[in-house]
Formats: sequence, structure tokens, C-alpha cells
Amino acid sequence: MSEEEHDHHHTILGFDAYNFNFAVLMIFTAIEVVAVALTFSMKGTVSMSTVIWILVVVGVVKGFGISAVFMHLRGDPDSRVLTATALFPVFFIVVMILFIGMTHPESADSLPAWCRPGFYD
Amino acid sequence: MSYGKQDDHHDEHHGWHTPHNSWAPILLAFGSSFFLLGFAKVFTQTWENDAWSYAIHTGEIWVMISGLAVFFAGIMIFWQQDWEHDGSYELKSLGAPFQGIDVRKIALWMFLMSEMMVFSTLFTTYMRYRTGLPNCTAMAEAGTLVDGSVCWLPASYFIAEGGWHQETAHAALGFMPDTLIPGAINTFALIISSYTIVLALKTAKDTRISEAERSRKVGIYLLTTLMLATLFLIFKMVEWFVGFELGSEEHPIFYSPSLLADGFTIHASEYDYTICHVWENHECVDKEVYQVDIRMAASTFYVTTGTHGVHVFGGMVALVYMVTKAFMGGYTPANAVSIEYFGLYWHFVDLVWVLVFPAFYLI
Repeated sequence: MSEEEHDHHHTILGFDAYNFNFAVLMIFTAIEVVAVALTFSMKGTVSMSTVIWILVVVGVVKGFGISAVFMHLRGDPDSRVLTATALFPVFFIVVMILFIGMTHPESADSLPAWCRPGFYD
Repeated sequence: MSYGKQDDHHDEHHGWHTPHNSWAPILLAFGSSFFLLGFAKVFTQTWENDAWSYAIHTGEIWVMISGLAVFFAGIMIFWQQDWEHDGSYELKSLGAPFQGIDVRKIALWMFLMSEMMVFSTLFTTYMRYRTGLPNCTAMAEAGTLVDGSVCWLPASYFIAEGGWHQETAHAALGFMPDTLIPGAINTFALIISSYTIVLALKTAKDTRISEAERSRKVGIYLLTTLMLATLFLIFKMVEWFVGFELGSEEHPIFYSPSLLADGFTIHASEYDYTICHVWENHECVDKEVYQVDIRMAASTFYVTTGTHGVHVFGGMVALVYMVTKAFMGGYTPANAVSIEYFGLYWHFVDLVWVLVFPAFYLI
């Protein structure tokens, strides 16, 4: 890729992509901290579910900003294949979260006897 | 070690030479494995007579030391090989699907994939226990909390809410408890450090400035990253062990006790969970205290944030080398991708914090 092409695709809305992304990340981090701080200083007025939604949205925006711009998963010639590479473990992560993370710690107690510790026949 | 041109694989001394792939990472892997194995053998704790007993087995310390020696030998070899890398040769992948991409870059992404699995395991553990164990506060509100209850008391109870004395928790800024400030500063520190890394990369690629100016600027950006990482770990220690207090006890200017001082430890099987019903002049005059077991919440917090902290420390070790190389004029537009590849790791560490901070500190 030539220097000119490189410079061209590293802009967002006419601003330098790194600078723009940094500004967005700082703003969203401030929103994140203030949202939680409000639950402390304005007890009862901001519900925890509202805060969690704010945190999820902020997390998605920050995660996208870091991976797409700072880690070059957007706009580079190899971005697509590397994004697919990075997402490969997601399948296993989803399986792990759904079938282990979201189950009850005592759920193993309800498994059939042959599936529980101590059954070695 | 010297690197030939990609289209010129001829070596004066040995005829055709192969790309100088480094075997140092294999040494690093073996060294760290031996070190961790030794660590688990040397420092043990066992549950005896209703109490934890700790032991240090000095006879096994040779495993730890050998592991460290192999690890540092690996680092030295790795750095020695990288020191002379001027970017004139960069091994490219030939096969699909990574055809034409730097092998180093692909290897780094493979490494990050394994790292994703490590942190996902920690997050899954966190989710499983957080959703599975009853929340201490919810139990107290429902009137089901009794002495000996095993319940979940998140770190955010101490950090974002100010602990049991939250009604009178000190807030120097007015709108957030002082205990949240170290974590909040750390979050900004990591974001800024991610930015300084990309600035270092951008500057290293810049062909319009002189070599001396480039070296100086890249060095400064990398040094700033190192300082922010140091700040991160210092605040981590303050938050875990040290605490930070300013002013007198009667008139505090800033009051952020450590998690250790608050009793949030991995051995907190009898944590004094306190509910205050009536406050008078910042003193609780009517309270209930239950001894509850909060070890699971503390363990998942310390293991996850500690693993993240170890990754920050690993990045700092690499940064010490990179800062030195940068000030010696080691980074040029030809080998600037080395900064990009370290940056991938560093941004990943930042990305993990994007999840860790809200999950463990805020909710």
C-alpha cells in the first residue's frame, strides 16, 4: 500500500483515525465512570439495569474502537482474515458462557449418577 | 543476526540461508511453565483443623529458579535477535488463508486467540458464580441472611459503593466515592497508553522527519506508555493493599482504604457484613452484623484482575527493551511494524480491561 493510500484510509470523518478514536474512547470512558458515580451520588434515581445497559453500550463502542482502529481490524488489506481469526475463539467462548457460565453451580448435582464424580464403573 | 533481502536468500558463509526465525519463544514457554510448576510446588496452603495453613517447600525451589533462568535466557536471546532486526527481511506467509501476511503478525494473533480463551475462562467462572450464588445484599433485604451464609459480595460493593459505610463514604469529587478513583484513573491510563503506542507507530513510520527526531519522539511515546503502565500497577497496589488517605481522621480530604483493610480477601470465610439502620453524626448507632463467606467473589476478583495485572507487567518488561531500542535509533519506517505487533498485545490488554472494569469494579 502506498503512503498516500495509507494516509487516506486512516481518517474518520476527515479527522486522523487514531486521534478521533482516542477522543471517542476518552468520552465513553468518562460516561462509564459518571454513570456508576451517579448511582452513588443519586441513590434511587438511577436504576442498576439502566447503568448496566449504559455499560454494555459503552463497552461495545470501546471494544469496537480499540479493535477496529487501534488493532487495525478495519480498513487494512488483511483486516478481514485477521478479524475472522480473532473471532474464531468466539464459538468456544459462547459455548463456555452458555453451558458453563450461565448454569447454576449446583447443576452438576442433578446430572445422572454415571456423569458425576465418584462413578468409576 | 543479519537479515537478507526477501529476494536474496544467499548467505556469504553458508550458501543459501533460511529466514532467521526465532526459537526463543519456545524457551520462554518452557521457562514460564517450569516457573509456574515450581511456584505451585514451593508455596502451598492446606485446610487443616478448620484453618488454612501455609508452607514454603524450599526443597522444590530449584524448579522455580530453573524456570526463571530458562525464561530470562529466552528473553535475552529474543532481544538479541530483535536488536539487529532492521526490517530488511520480513517472513511472509505463503499459504491460504494468510497468504502475504507477515508471519510475525499471524503468530501474534494466534497468541491473542489463546489469550482470549484464558480470559474467557476467567469470565465464565465469574459469571457462573455471580449468577449462581445469592447476592449478600439481596439476602439481607429479603431477611434470609444468617451467620455462615455463603453469598456473593461483589468488589464493586467496596469500590463503587464505599463498603458498609457507604452512607457516609468520603467523596472528594462530590459525585463518586474516593475508592472508585484509583480504578477510574487506571482506566484512563490504559486508554491513553493505547494511544501513545499508536502514536509511536505512526511516528516510526513517518519518513518526513529526521532520523534523530524520529528516534527521540518514538522513545518518548514508548516511555510514556511505560510510565502509564507503571502508574496502573501502582494504583492496583494502592487499591489492593495500601490504600490512600489524606487529611485527618476527623476531616479527611481523601479517604480510600485498601480492599485488604476492608476485609475483602480470598480467605474471607467470616466476613463481617454490616447493615446500618441508623446513622448519627457519621456514626452508626443501630446496626446488624452477619458473618458471611465471600471467598468466591474475592477469589474471582483477585485472580481475574491479577491475571490482567500480570499481562500489564509483561508488557512493561517488553516496553523497557523497546524504549531502550527506540532511543538508540532502533526503529525506522522499515521495521516500525515491530511496534505495531507489540501494540496488538497492548491493545488486547486494554480490551480486556474494557470488560474487567465494569464487570468487577462497577456492578
